[in-house]
Amino acid sequence: MSMIKTENLTKIYSGGTKAVDNLNIEIEEAEIYGLLGKNGAGKTTTIKMLTTAIEPTSGNAIIDGYDLKRDKEKIRRIIGVVPQDLTTDADLKGIENLRMIAAFYNIPRSDADKRIKDLLDIVDLSDWGDRYVSQYSGGMRKRLELICGLVNSPKILFLDEPTLGLDVNTRSKMWKYIKDIQKELGVTIILTSHYLEEVDQLADRISIIDHGRILITGTPESLKASLKGDVITMEFQSKEEADLARAYPGALNASLAGNSKVRMKVENSDTELPKILSYLMERNVSPLTINVKKPSLDEVFLEYTGSTIDDDIDPEQFRRMMQNVRRLR
Amino acid sequence: MSGLAPLTVREIKKWYRNPVYLIVGLLQPVFWIILFGSAFDISKFGGPFVSSFFDGAPDYITYMIGGILTITGLFTGMFSGINIIWDRRLGILQRFLVSPIKRSSIVFSRIIASVVRIIVQVVILIAIALIIPDGLKISHSFTIVDALLMVAAVLMISFIFSSIFSIIAIRMTRMETIMGITNLVNLPLMFASYALFPPDLMVSWLSDVAKYNPVSWSAESIRLLIIYGNLSGSQMSTFASYMIYLFILTVIMILLVYFVSESGIKE
Repeated sequence: MSMIKTENLTKIYSGGTKAVDNLNIEIEEAEIYGLLGKNGAGKTTTIKMLTTAIEPTSGNAIIDGYDLKRDKEKIRRIIGVVPQDLTTDADLKGIENLRMIAAFYNIPRSDADKRIKDLLDIVDLSDWGDRYVSQYSGGMRKRLELICGLVNSPKILFLDEPTLGLDVNTRSKMWKYIKDIQKELGVTIILTSHYLEEVDQLADRISIIDHGRILITGTPESLKASLKGDVITMEFQSKEEADLARAYPGALNASLAGNSKVRMKVENSDTELPKILSYLMERNVSPLTINVKKPSLDEVFLEYTGSTIDDDIDPEQFRRMMQNVRRLR
Repeated sequence: MSGLAPLTVREIKKWYRNPVYLIVGLLQPVFWIILFGSAFDISKFGGPFVSSFFDGAPDYITYMIGGILTITGLFTGMFSGINIIWDRRLGILQRFLVSPIKRSSIVFSRIIASVVRIIVQVVILIAIALIIPDGLKISHSFTIVDALLMVAAVLMISFIFSSIFSIIAIRMTRMETIMGITNLVNLPLMFASYALFPPDLMVSWLSDVAKYNPVSWSAESIRLLIIYGNLSGSQMSTFASYMIYLFILTVIMILLVYFVSESGIKE
């Protein structure tokens, strides 16, 4: 049974903006599912609806067997949420923030303290629990946010732009923590991002969302493969050799590019390239140069949305982002 | 009510760790008591005749302290609204909204924290009023029961004000609006009441209006207790009716806050 299944989930804001348009997604247990899209594509609105923060205009979702419209209270108990904005109170200590959240779920104090200790360990904040959040660095603050969503041992963890506003180094550290959390706690993770690299690194499956609609869903590999594979270009000494290579049976298609050059598309160059080489060796042919081009998620995104991901940003999103960046410093 | 205790603890912690809040909350009423209260010496106006207008208060500070304590409740109550807006702007509210807590506990925790703040301020203000020269003179027959009744009046009026400002803040995203509203209502609430001046001195339409002002109910209740302690029959019935009005309004506010916040509190 899937963990989350949405049925024509739609949100139209009071201004008439259709933020999410008949969304149908299905998320499996214990997977990391990435929602990839530009700012304003409807990612955050989707997360807000699924986490009961806002009401859908129409449609519904089933979350771990519970009905999003009827069983809000039950859904709140089994989900963990890390919103895009910082939700910890800087005037309190790290541990006080976490204890307050534990109290929201009526977790007994001793259980809560044990859980909090474990969580602080996972994100390397053990020495910081007793300090005021205002003293944390930006990366530490985001790590604290991350475990705020885990205090209640949720089945599903929602991460809305978990590394927004962080620098490149801190970002890759966050990825490690997110992977560790999934491995150690076995929780289903739904993550939104507009960083292609982030979803590529983390997600088992990705949906590309644009203007509130899902354009395509699949594993990062299958999405790239949908661009009809990797391109291998080989140069040979003569046209005869090139023709031999062109006849390689495992290629999706192959063509001559220039006199002694072969341009070949294969499904996966990692597994196909050794086979090509041994195929050529058997025929006593060796290429002069080999060039492999794997399709990146950038190209996938371009293919399906018709634009690159860092095109535009709406003013409200920008204000929020800057507010976060300011507070993360 | 789930969430009420941890959220109230949070508010109180933030407050006592930052003494600036307490000091700022005290400064204005202290100025009122010391400067306004001393600016106007009843005994110089012609003895017992004038004094009778002021409920027989020995001096003006003793007369107006009940009003000042009530106004302090009004100002501090505003903060419960401001804090709700502040949490919304920072994003902290999002955490509360996705947690399995009663929506109304988000608002009630602010109101309760405000009431606690106001009670502490009131105790400090009374102490200050007692120690300044020519300050507050509490009746000799003032008992512990009177003290508790006084606390009850302060509690109810501060609950009422905190609730009003919280309800305003439930759907609001701008701090300026609630400050503007406070400035707007502050003067009429203060002067169209028995907080600072006795009804017999007012133009008749004003004293008619003041009769229905909750500030009058609280100020007059506290005043009667402080000046007389042991209340006579007619004083007792005035006092009792004001306390009942306050009680009814408090109950209405509890219901209003509950229903408005359960359905209305949004990000």
